[in-house]
This record gives sequence, structure tokens and C-alpha cells, in this order.
Amino acid sequence: MEAKNDSTNARATEDRRGFLTKLPTLGMAAGLAGGYGTFFGMAGSYLYPAASNNKTWLLATHLDNVGPGQAYPFRTPAGEQVVIARVGSGASAEDFIALSSVCPHLGCRVHWEAQNDQFFCPCHNGTFSRDGAPTGGPPKDANQALIRYPLSVRGNLLFIEVDLTSLTT
Amino acid sequence: MISIRHWFRERIPISGDVLRELTNEPVPNHLKRWWFCLGGTPAYLFVVQIVTGILLAFNYQATPTAAYESVRYITEEASYGWYFRGIHKWAATLMIAAVILHQMRVYFTAAYRKPRELNWMIGMCLLLGTLGLGFTGYCLVFEQLSYWGATVAANICDSVPWFGGFLKRMLLGGESYNEHTLSRMFILHAAVLPCVMILLLFVHISFIRLQGVTEFKFSDEPKDKPGFFSFFPDHLFTEVIIGLVLMLLLSFLASVVPAHLGPKADPFTTPETIKPEWFFYVMFRWLKLFSGTFAVLSIGFIIFAMFIWPWLDAGLRRITRNEEISTWIGIVAVIALIGLTVWEALAAH
Repeated sequence: MEAKNDSTNARATEDRRGFLTKLPTLGMAAGLAGGYGTFFGMAGSYLYPAASNNKTWLLATHLDNVGPGQAYPFRTPAGEQVVIARVGSGASAEDFIALSSVCPHLGCRVHWEAQNDQFFCPCHNGTFSRDGAPTGGPPKDANQALIRYPLSVRGNLLFIEVDLTSLTT
Repeated sequence: MISIRHWFRERIPISGDVLRELTNEPVPNHLKRWWFCLGGTPAYLFVVQIVTGILLAFNYQATPTAAYESVRYITEEASYGWYFRGIHKWAATLMIAAVILHQMRVYFTAAYRKPRELNWMIGMCLLLGTLGLGFTGYCLVFEQLSYWGATVAANICDSVPWFGGFLKRMLLGGESYNEHTLSRMFILHAAVLPCVMILLLFVHISFIRLQGVTEFKFSDEPKDKPGFFSFFPDHLFTEVIIGLVLMLLLSFLASVVPAHLGPKADPFTTPETIKPEWFFYVMFRWLKLFSGTFAVLSIGFIIFAMFIWPWLDAGLRRITRNEEISTWIGIVAVIALIGLTVWEALAAH
């Protein structure tokens, strides 16, 4: 019984000694992992682009310039073409839509095809009706309509929220 | 002369015999057939790309306001700029074609099977790296195709569930194409991807050296013929001849079909007809056939299946008890690849 206790104690001492011997190695490995992990974390943060909000509200037009059923072409200061249309007879923001020319599928620019009465995206053959609803190609399969710009009406004036970021300025 | 040799021997303590042993790998006889030398072809073209790429980088400026003008300067004004740009463009095209043909050769000869599964996966990484270099390369010209190619690729990334948005922002340096995008593409094209490719090539060739080249026997070979020949000088001479033929071909193509410069990137107008480079025709057609997320996820699934193909193949052979199953799947895949590419090439939209 005593011999068994002795051997158990010896094994415990050995385990403790083994653990203590490994401790500096483990500590060093943890230090290295922590140090290099922090370095690569900082590198990731450096590479990840900072969020930018360069949006602003601009005067688009006088309400009287867009009659019911009519469209009004608007160009943002960054050069983007926007089609503003009056879809209702009232004078609230809900009576107007401002369609982006960016295809919701993979970001190409759509253009208006008067002969087919539709917007057409040349990249992957997506088509949209005049109110921006998807009518063909991948956008129809995924039910992706043309993106709308936020609009607001103040008095008799129509305002639009646009991005001022431009590649050339 | 002896003292010079002695001086070097003291500082580089490797004997000639050891050096010969390290570099002079026994090469199986089938490598005397040109079709089996397709592995060395992309490696040679990669060196051509590094040399011509460094030359082009001397005059290239990676900013949206200056990139197009700098490429025009290289093409129209710099001495032999048209030649180096032409060589760079055509070597990229041939390199992608050679990598694809090399992979097909490895596939149809089942050279990826045990114990070469890991090297197949490294080869897959090299294929994706080569396509990445091709993509980032044509983004740098800042012509219409460059701009819309980058925009579409970024939005393809965005379609990936969970971390797609992160990928898109990392690629573009923002939410959409902006003034930082070109410099990111340039660093990827000229530093990150080449360094990764060099490391992968080192591992790829080390694996070949460690495992040896897969041996193939042909019925028309005499039985008493030795199975191997020397790397140096025999196989090296074959590679030198391939290199010379490639340089002649590249010079011919660069002169007769020079690299042109399309219209400058216009972020507000996507051209009526737009197509990527020929090696992305398959993906482009696929994206027209299916909605965004499904198309992207299915492409991801196919690439993943290609990565783990050595194990899938082993499983399929066990289940079907058909040794030729991978050949039939390969034939269907190649027909689909060629079919979709030709379809996209011929279609107006």
C-alpha cells in the first residue's frame, strides 16, 4: 500500500515537473501567437477600407417641371444619370420615383431602349420596365428591381439624396 | 583558376557531385513527347511575365487619372513599349492556355491520384492564381473592359453569402469602384499574386522532385530501352527549345496582333457590347444563364469539387466499380467548357 502511494506521488511530481518544464515553451508560443496575431490584426484593419458617407440632399427640380406620367433627366454632381418620374398625381415624395442606372445584378449601367420600352443592361442581358421592375434576365430570376434614390418634397421643390464621390475629382 | 575554384569552394561548401545529385533528376522517357512538357511551358511564360511586367511597371501609374494615359504612353511613345506590352499580353493568354492544358493532361492521365493529391491541390491554387493575375492585369489598363470587369467581379464577390460584402470592400477598397481600387489591383497583380505564385511553384516543383514524375509506358516503346534519361542536359535542352519557340511565337503575335487600347473607362456608361477576356467566357455565360447567388454558389461548388477531386474520384471509382469514370466526367466537363466558351464568343449579347 505504502509502495503504491510512493509510486503515485513520484508520478505526480514528475507530471508537475513536466508541466513546469513545458510552461516557458507554452508561454513563449502564446506570446508569439499573441504578438504576430496582433500584427496581422492591425494589418487587416489597415487594409479594410474605412466607411465613407459622402451623401447629401440636393435640389432636383421644381414639382411643376415633372407632370404626371412624365420623366425628368437629372445628373448628379458626380456625373451619374438619374431618371426621375412622376408616377402619382399628388405632390408628395411617394408620387415620384428616381431610378438609379446601376443594374442590381452585378453593377453595370442600364440604358433606356425606347424601341423596346425598357431599360437594358448589356452585361448579362437584364431588362427592366419603365418603373424599374425586373422583366427579364438574371434580375427577373432573382426579383431585383432598379435601385431607387431617396426623394423628399419641401414646399414645391423635389430633393434627392445622392453620392458626391467621383473618380475624376 | 584552381585558386578561384578553391576560393568559391571554401565559401560555398557544396561539391559538384552533391549539386548534380540535387538538380539532376531522372526524367521518365515519356517526357520526350512534347505533349508531356506542358508543365514547363507556363513556368517559362511566368518568367517572361515577371521580366516584361517589371519593364512595364517602370512607366505605369496606378491612379484613375493617370493609368490610361500611362498605358497609352507605353504603347505609343516609349521605345519598344508596344513590344513589351504585346509580349506581356500574349504571354498571359498562352500561360492561361498552357496551365489549362497541363491540368487537363494531369487529369486525363490520372496523375493526381495517390500519393499526388496534395500537389493537385497546389496546382489548383496555381490555376486560380493565374486566372487572378489575368483578371487584375486587364483591370490595370483602365479601359472600359477594365472598369466594368472590376465592377462585375466585385459584385460577384458581394453575392457570396456571409462574407461576400467583406470580400467586395477588400477588393475595391470601398463600397464601389473608387480612387483606391486601381492601386489595390496593381499591388495584387504586381506583388501579392506573383509572390504567392512563386511560393506555390516552389512547393509544386519540390513535390514533383520528392515524388518523382508519374511514369507512363507506351506500347510503341522498345522493352529493353532504359526507362529514364537525364534532366541535365537532355530535358533542359527540350525546355530551352520550347522557350525559344515560345519567344518566337510571342514576338510574332506581339507584332502581328499587337495589344490594343480600347476606349477609356467611363463609370457612367456600360458599352452596348461588353465581354471579358476569353478565359472568363465560361463564367460570364454562366452568370447570364442563372440568377446571381445561384450562379456564384454553383461556380464555388465546382471549384471546391475540383480541389478535392482526387478523393471524389477515389470514392466514385469505389462506388461505381468503374475505373474510367473520371475520364467520362472529364470529357463532359471539357465539352461543357468549350461549349460555353464558344457560345459566349459567338453570341452578340
